[in-house]
Amino acid sequence: MKHGKITPYIFIFPMLVGLFVFRLGPVAVAIGASFTRWNVQAPPKFLGLANYVEAIGSETFWLVTKNTLFFTALFVPGVMILALLMAMMINQKLKGIAFFRGLYFMPYITAMVAVAMVWNWIFATRFGILNHILRNFLHISSPPAWLAEKTWALVALAIVAIWKAAGFQMMVFLAGLQGIPKSLYEAAEIDGASKLAQFLHITVPLLSPVTFFVFIITVIDAFKTFDVTFAMTGGGPNYASTTLAYFIYQNAFIYSRMGYAASLAFFLLIFVGITTLVSFKVKERWVSYDL
Amino acid sequence: MNMLNFKIPRSVRNIFSYVVLSIFAFTTIFPFLWMIITTFKSRGAIFSLPPTMMPDLLFKPEMWDSYIAVLTKYSFLRYAGNSLFVAGMAATGQLLTASLAGFAFARMEFKGKGLFFGLLLSTTMIPTEVIIIPEFLLMAKLDWLDTYLPLIVPSFLVGTFGTFMLREFFMSIPEELVEAAHLDGASTFQIYRKIFIPLSMPAMTTLFLIGFIHNWNELLRPVLYISSSNLRTITIGLTSFQNEFGAQWNLLLAGAVISILPLLIVYILAQRYIVEGIATTGLK
Repeated sequence: MKHGKITPYIFIFPMLVGLFVFRLGPVAVAIGASFTRWNVQAPPKFLGLANYVEAIGSETFWLVTKNTLFFTALFVPGVMILALLMAMMINQKLKGIAFFRGLYFMPYITAMVAVAMVWNWIFATRFGILNHILRNFLHISSPPAWLAEKTWALVALAIVAIWKAAGFQMMVFLAGLQGIPKSLYEAAEIDGASKLAQFLHITVPLLSPVTFFVFIITVIDAFKTFDVTFAMTGGGPNYASTTLAYFIYQNAFIYSRMGYAASLAFFLLIFVGITTLVSFKVKERWVSYDL
Repeated sequence: MNMLNFKIPRSVRNIFSYVVLSIFAFTTIFPFLWMIITTFKSRGAIFSLPPTMMPDLLFKPEMWDSYIAVLTKYSFLRYAGNSLFVAGMAATGQLLTASLAGFAFARMEFKGKGLFFGLLLSTTMIPTEVIIIPEFLLMAKLDWLDTYLPLIVPSFLVGTFGTFMLREFFMSIPEELVEAAHLDGASTFQIYRKIFIPLSMPAMTTLFLIGFIHNWNELLRPVLYISSSNLRTITIGLTSFQNEFGAQWNLLLAGAVISILPLLIVYILAQRYIVEGIATTGLK
């Protein structure tokens, strides 16, 4: 298309302002702030690496890191398996399939604070329906106080987060499944390949680029988890369900330690960066684009 | 002989499919169902053991009591109105920014194009928690705390997802249309305004809806930026409500239902735009 020399810059100008003022600028400032003591009221004071040293030496930081990894280890496989199963189920030619698709996607569009409320009620220790089922149908005499127990709080959060998020990843998987040529399955059928063999030798390899993409966004989602923690446990009991993103929020806005929080945010950025890089390295090995 | 190749009649397989589909559907829908059931229970019935599936106030005159209490005694309508305004403004704003930038990235050649586009895409990887501290300090400096500006302006201007999505869409518009307009003497801006925008209405609708949903559900920014109770959005309205009314589950969940309902209606009416928009781009 013919256009003036500066025209494109006029078109991207608003976006550039947003990009530099609200995204890249803040990242740079956050890195700078991580070397200071900063509590909003007083001007920042340069501390060198003190915030990082404090974080590495702090037991709470390691607990929070461990929680983040544990949550990720539950969330990522949970979301991916559920999303793939649902995507395969709705990738069938059946009457009313659009209805099921719409239904499965529904939790994704609702506000976490609202659905967390009903999950709080489901998980309630004495009157909650979940523990009622555990007591009376599975005969577990003393089911856990889900949100108030160290061992279970993070598991409960992961369950809710998986339930809420899977619809989105399902849609991505579905788009991937629909991109696989039907003729491949038909040919396999003629050759007498079983459904399982078709899944292993056609679906899995041809879906691998999509699986890879879903994996990255799901891991990053797990690292960013905030809403569910805020709405359900507030990070408790005693940091047992605090993950890194929530810990940053606590330090910055509850304890007013902006500088320290910024150094924690830098760790989060590093985690996300490493995940992305490692995934791209691994991708070369196990993602195949052809048969 | 391969057992797995034993032919199962299509109708039997279909029934099996529906059973599995329904099991997933039940898991998805149960929390919503339980939410609604609880709002039609009296206080006594909530704390009964075993829990009852059948709400005791159903079809009785007191049936809507929880909703009436929430709507008349607490400002839920106001919160919903506030959220409507914030989410509407943010979603409309990003349409402008994203369509302008998407047009330039799709149809123009310029220095730094690859760099800017790459930078823009890379920001999707940056967790909000990393940028929120400087953003908060910036908003404080601008004296924007306790206003809607921090909730609107950043999503107005960034629109990464929208730029990406509209760029894809704009690239699919045939070059002949552009050339014909050029011959008629149309300026670049006119081509954008008179050809690209009208042709991309379905994509713009999708983008608006996704932006709206996203902003309606936003939690962290309202928590940080809004302190006046009359400015509360629905998400923080609900949070503070929960802090005040610990265990009155029928009231709490009536509030939750009210906060979800507008979105659910939009979703059901415009499902095609939302679901397919997300499916085709595969990006948030």
